[in-house]
Amino acid sequence: MFLNRILKIGFPLLSLACYSQGQQSIDSLKQEHLDEVVVTATRTKRLIATLPLPTHVISAATIEKAGVTRLDEILAQQTGLHLTSDFGGVEGLQMQGLDAAYILILMDGVPLVGRSAGTFDLSRISVGNIDRIEIVKGASSSLYGSEALAGVINIITKKPTRNNASGNGSFRYASWNTNDVNLNFNWKKEKISATLFTNYFSSNGYDLDPNTELKTVEPYQNTTIQPRVFWDFSKNVKFTFGTRFYNQLQEYKTIINAINYAGNATILEWDLHSKLEQKWGSNVQVDYELYATNYKNNSFLNSPENILFEQNYYNQWLYRPEIRALFNWKKNKIIAGAGFNHESLDRTYFATKVAVQSQYVFSQLDFNPTEKVNFLLGIRYDNNSQFASQWSPKFAVNYKVNPSLSFKTSIGYGFKAPDFRQLYFDFTNSSVGYTVLGYNVAESQLNVLEKQGQLLNRIPGISFENPLEPESSVNLNLGSFYQKEKLKVETNFFYNSISNLIDTRVAAQKNNGQNVFSYFNVDQIFTYGLEFNSTHKYSKQFNVSFGYQYLIAKDESVIKAVEKGTVYARDPVTLESFQIKKADYFGLFNRSKNTANLKFYYAVPKLKTDFNLQVFYKSKYGLWDSNNNQVLDKYDDFVNAFTTINISASKKMLQKFTLQAGVNNLFDFTNPQEISTLSGRLFFTRLQFNF
Amino acid sequence: MKNTFSTSFFTIAVMAIFTTFISCDKDDAPQKVVVLETKTVSNLPAPQTGGQGQPEGGPFTKFSFSQNAVVTNDVWDIAFRGTKIIVNGGSLIGLKEEPSRKGVAAVSIVTGSLSSITAIPAANTFIQDGDKTYSFPTSGINSWYDYNATSHIISAKAGKVYVVKTHDGKYAKFEILSYYKDAPTSPDGTSISRFYTFKFVYQNNSSISF
Repeated sequence: MFLNRILKIGFPLLSLACYSQGQQSIDSLKQEHLDEVVVTATRTKRLIATLPLPTHVISAATIEKAGVTRLDEILAQQTGLHLTSDFGGVEGLQMQGLDAAYILILMDGVPLVGRSAGTFDLSRISVGNIDRIEIVKGASSSLYGSEALAGVINIITKKPTRNNASGNGSFRYASWNTNDVNLNFNWKKEKISATLFTNYFSSNGYDLDPNTELKTVEPYQNTTIQPRVFWDFSKNVKFTFGTRFYNQLQEYKTIINAINYAGNATILEWDLHSKLEQKWGSNVQVDYELYATNYKNNSFLNSPENILFEQNYYNQWLYRPEIRALFNWKKNKIIAGAGFNHESLDRTYFATKVAVQSQYVFSQLDFNPTEKVNFLLGIRYDNNSQFASQWSPKFAVNYKVNPSLSFKTSIGYGFKAPDFRQLYFDFTNSSVGYTVLGYNVAESQLNVLEKQGQLLNRIPGISFENPLEPESSVNLNLGSFYQKEKLKVETNFFYNSISNLIDTRVAAQKNNGQNVFSYFNVDQIFTYGLEFNSTHKYSKQFNVSFGYQYLIAKDESVIKAVEKGTVYARDPVTLESFQIKKADYFGLFNRSKNTANLKFYYAVPKLKTDFNLQVFYKSKYGLWDSNNNQVLDKYDDFVNAFTTINISASKKMLQKFTLQAGVNNLFDFTNPQEISTLSGRLFFTRLQFNF
Repeated sequence: MKNTFSTSFFTIAVMAIFTTFISCDKDDAPQKVVVLETKTVSNLPAPQTGGQGQPEGGPFTKFSFSQNAVVTNDVWDIAFRGTKIIVNGGSLIGLKEEPSRKGVAAVSIVTGSLSSITAIPAANTFIQDGDKTYSFPTSGINSWYDYNATSHIISAKAGKVYVVKTHDGKYAKFEILSYYKDAPTSPDGTSISRFYTFKFVYQNNSSISF
């Protein structure tokens, strides 16, 4: 049966227990817990317990228990992962205190594209066909190149494992007329198997402030279709071919100078992924992979007279052939790979379509000198015409003290290449009059503006001669893994030092009193903290897990300025300035020092029912500066600490049905002014049928 | 999920962090017997026409520190129009309806609180207006304000004190507190802009400190 299969594939690392599937499946899980395998960390199958990198897995069972439908929802429930509002209102994920732009998102090992100002909208991904989500924290550019700076999230989709046809369907209805329909078909006959996943999602959106004319989130709907074929030509040659379509339509409304504009926004996404795995004897395997993806969005606004007011488009392509070879040598593994990226983007505010080619090679040694010690040594070279080529090394060690306890440490380099927007943007705000220019086109566009007599002056000392540098980091992790009988405890201390952060600065002044901005390598920040996860299985029926993250994230230049005594704040009463002391500096915006989650699971086998209670806590964080120094200090206004609670219950019925009901955000906590992405109390019910 | 935002306004963090700057606050100036009075100017109107991409115009509001009043003749020290501030010294910047400079006024921008600035900065730090050059920079770390592109609020940077050499060679120091009428603590979209509130200290004699 379908659910049984999920359970056999893997059991959640972080979660408390299994899905209620009757006594038999609970028993069968005992052993699997220890044997959990991941592929993202090393690009080979590795046991999580002895992996020297901070790695977590979210299983299909955990996702199902949580009663959620989109990827952002399930990720936000994990320790150390937070959703924050980024530019344009899209929610982005934060990992080890770093923003969404620095997290690589993979599906079955290949990258998903289509970001808005660096942020990937994770709600595009349905969780309906996810087998497991692997999360590797810390810089992973040694394997994955650009963007894998804070870490990597790899979504592994389900594969048919048993002969004949099977499948499942589910329907979930939730508040705000939110509908989620899943259909999964699996078919397998000896050497050939196939799967077809379809998902339809629609929501009326929600409105936190009924006094305003616009809703907080306008109605939207989307469809995902993902067929895949697996063909084992022989024992040694296996072929995989898959494609994915995604289509989203959302109403798009805005009010400018008391005039209502309306239109819609569409997203169209498509990818094609094929892979040939070939074994040469028992110790060598070569993978040939071909990946192409296209992300398109279009939006328009019409005036009340139905005249086109604004139109935007965005069309991104990525082609990536890659070849990897894996050599087994005694207990050690060597992986080597090479690939090629062809990426292009055509969008509003670009003068022309932009295309970039890059090449890369990587290699990794997975070395076990003794039973107790495992080394990982990796390096990758990225060659790109747009910026200086990058060498990304990584080194990691795991030391197994005894069968229950391991210590692990890793140090690595991560980078994020300047994106197309930072290099090629050419935008002038029509109502205010300022201009933003990408770094590579800034010089020529400034010359054009100068010729047109639009420039008052250029800021002295600003030059675009040397290429914009990639943002880069050095990442350190120091952790432990303990598992014995009913208790599992993981800790990880992390430190990231990021240089050459790219931000906008004024490059010239215009005659209209506005500025011309461009992108520059300006900032240096660091983040450090401690992550703690524990799970205690009191019995087969009752589990508790606890997760906690302590986080400090600061800007080096602010610290220096505060030490120098040049940072002041405005007193809210007298409006006079006073000096900020070192201890007053809180850190970067949008980051809570303390976040925690507590999850309870209770199963009643007699009733074939299980219950979940999840508590999430976030300590105060700053959203913006409120005392006129652009720095978050303790005198600023903060978003208050808050707690949300989710409860759910699910019951197995008539062998093939599962009924689930629950409430997310039980106490209806909202903060319309400061957290528009928190929707308030959501009731849901879900029925699943397996066949 | 996507939130509805008016995406036509491209958001930009206009300003970042104060970096290096001339630090004067550690100077221990000898205590003066005469305590100079700190005066507050509230709701000084600084209207402007145009803007928002259109050419800016309208008369500047001229202010005299010695008279603590708006003046219409040539004895003004500084003048305001919208977010632009000019001094009565140097030459024309090249703006519409710009008053000609008849005095020797100049400004030196220092970091500190109004009371902590006691010494007159070095002479070479004083800047006058000139062709296409503002003595009060309109952008960068020395501009007097930050603009929040999301809320569209203009906020006077904390810790910026302007030491002004007046039109007749005396000195005054001032700190801008607010750009909005009645100086609300947290201005919002309903606040009325182009009304300056500032505190100043005027040094009547030729002393080199306040």
